[in-house]
Amino acid sequence: MKREHQQICGAAAAGGYGSSSGSKGESSSTNKGKLWGEDRDSGDMDELLGVLGYKVRSSDMADVAKKLEQLEMVMGTAQEGGISHLASDTVHYNPSDLSSWVQSMLTEFNSPATSNLDPVFPNSDSNSAKPRQQQIVGSNQSQVYNDDSEYDLRAIPGVAAYPQPKRIKTSGNDSSSSPTESSARPVVLVDLQEAGVQLVHTLMACAEAVQQENLKLADALVKHIGLLAASQAGAMRKVATCFAEALARRIYGVYPQDSLHPSYTDVLQMHFYETCPYLKFAHFTANQAILEAFATAKKVHVIDFGLKQGMQWPALMQALALRPDGPPAFRLTGIGPPQPDNTDALQQVGWKLAQLAETIGVEFEFRGFIANSLADIEPDMLGIRPPEVETLAVNSIFELHRLFAQPGVIEKVLCSIKTMKPKILTIVEEEANHNSPVFVDRFNEALHYYSSFFDSLEGSGVATPSQDLVMSELYLGRQICNVVACEGVERVERHETLAQWRTRMETSGFSPVHLGSNAYKQASMLLALFAGVDGYRVEENDGCLMLGWHTRPLIATSAWQLATAE
Amino acid sequence: MVQNHHGTVGENKGKRPKFFINDHVDILIEILKRLDCRSLCVAASVCRLWCTIARNDSLWENLCFRHVSPPPSSVRSVVLALGGYKRLYMGCVRPVRSRLGRVRRASWARDEVQLSLSLFCVDYYERLGGGSNSNGRLVGESSPSSLMFLCKPMNV
Repeated sequence: MKREHQQICGAAAAGGYGSSSGSKGESSSTNKGKLWGEDRDSGDMDELLGVLGYKVRSSDMADVAKKLEQLEMVMGTAQEGGISHLASDTVHYNPSDLSSWVQSMLTEFNSPATSNLDPVFPNSDSNSAKPRQQQIVGSNQSQVYNDDSEYDLRAIPGVAAYPQPKRIKTSGNDSSSSPTESSARPVVLVDLQEAGVQLVHTLMACAEAVQQENLKLADALVKHIGLLAASQAGAMRKVATCFAEALARRIYGVYPQDSLHPSYTDVLQMHFYETCPYLKFAHFTANQAILEAFATAKKVHVIDFGLKQGMQWPALMQALALRPDGPPAFRLTGIGPPQPDNTDALQQVGWKLAQLAETIGVEFEFRGFIANSLADIEPDMLGIRPPEVETLAVNSIFELHRLFAQPGVIEKVLCSIKTMKPKILTIVEEEANHNSPVFVDRFNEALHYYSSFFDSLEGSGVATPSQDLVMSELYLGRQICNVVACEGVERVERHETLAQWRTRMETSGFSPVHLGSNAYKQASMLLALFAGVDGYRVEENDGCLMLGWHTRPLIATSAWQLATAE
Repeated sequence: MVQNHHGTVGENKGKRPKFFINDHVDILIEILKRLDCRSLCVAASVCRLWCTIARNDSLWENLCFRHVSPPPSSVRSVVLALGGYKRLYMGCVRPVRSRLGRVRRASWARDEVQLSLSLFCVDYYERLGGGSNSNGRLVGESSPSSLMFLCKPMNV
């Protein structure tokens, strides 16, 4: 009895849908009684189809008919080679369950369904709540996941990556699985968008896996990301590649990558300076704040926490030279990391600046300090003169966030700054929270942040991919590697948001100085110069200036002074 | 025919004195001072005298500060030291003005010049570095390019 039942089902499975009803009809009569006997338990099964060996609820009939129609359409449009696997590789459990069987065949065809209402980067929280909206038929690149895959792609949240969350894997009587909510006709979407969303989901899934220490899965996902990234173009591909590389480093424990010559990182930063306005914005706004703080002082002193190539100071010196009542005596103290080959890069920069100062007629003095970390600098080393004699400004561009890598260091440095008694402290930092202790949060935040960054580089009006652009991308890529792959002391790119900095500075005894309209005007003009790029935005945020790409602020300039006890 | 012509010329010569602009360089300078950049460059190709005059930096100074109230005198020494007004105009002021043309407001004229000056100074600083400081540059790359972004073509 049971064997014959299976025979019918087997015939039905191999022979395709509904086309061999003739052959079954003969053997059906002998089994009528038995089948009806079986079916009587489930009650509402359709009798006629039940005779043929298919279990379909009467209530589901309309749905099944619709699905069969869809399947027919799909098979008609699918490529030649696309369906041959159905005969051999795919395993359909419980084919007598017509509804779910047709369902599984349909989903075999479909590319990953997406709810295409979201923008490219949906939040990971909403993934699980997203039902499948439409069945979507891909044209060329339908991705079919065979059962013989070595890893379980169902780990990827949302339905975009693994298209059959409702697929019946067990052979239980799961015919109660509800058919898909859609009643729409299949819609053809651009594959690029699907692949893009899938890419993001895969990246997030990989981060999850890494956090849960499921390294085997993470490894497989990383490889998958590589494949997906290759199908994308432009900024998306670069971001994905950077993040994939960083994840791979983390998985394999190959912590970068460093011991790069500091002058190489300087070169990267120079190219970054030239390609896009972020550094220029930082320099110009900080300079404006410093200029206003110096006002009419006769002697001024600037301490730069990260001198690098000294690109910030020519503009300030020129502005000082053109002051109405003449230039002040300008002292610059530059702090930099030690160079592996013992060349004194700081002195060379100082020499160049001195040349410039002489050209434009500004009295200039330079001192360089080599320090591994800002914490090593003691205020009395710097030869600071009392405020009545000399006005002091402290400047830090993208330097302070590195201090979070070790506990207690940032407080020490802020304390030192306070003892120096500066008139103004200018800070420029990345506007993002990359310092969360939870890896997945950090990862997602970084993904959003650097995607915007790369987008802005992409749109920077460079017709052909120039060396500058590549270098800038390398520069950012190193940051990404650090955020994702490193931990502990090595992870130095610990960005925090402006709000977090505000709290920190105010509790440390600083009060904000508002950057005036001059700074805003200069910044706007500077951005307008970057031709053909409409995406940059300057925002004023309670006295601080933020530069962003479209709606996403990327860097923030703020100025601080000592809070006077009142 | 020729005799007639001669006759006409001779008559003209007698009637009024010949005016040749190149004899009056001060007037020439006053005129050239008021030209815009393109006309000035065209004028520079007229003859040697005009070329010499057009290259004079003070003409370009007028161009730079045309729409701005007279700048403080200290500016001149700085600009001359950094490379001169012609360089300032061609390298910075002109691209800045043309780029900002779309969004320009009247009050920005002075700031445009200030911004141009800052960029000019940065450019000078970069050019300083070429010979002595080879650590900070890749092999084979010596041209300073902090102003490259001004030279990139606009996406219309």
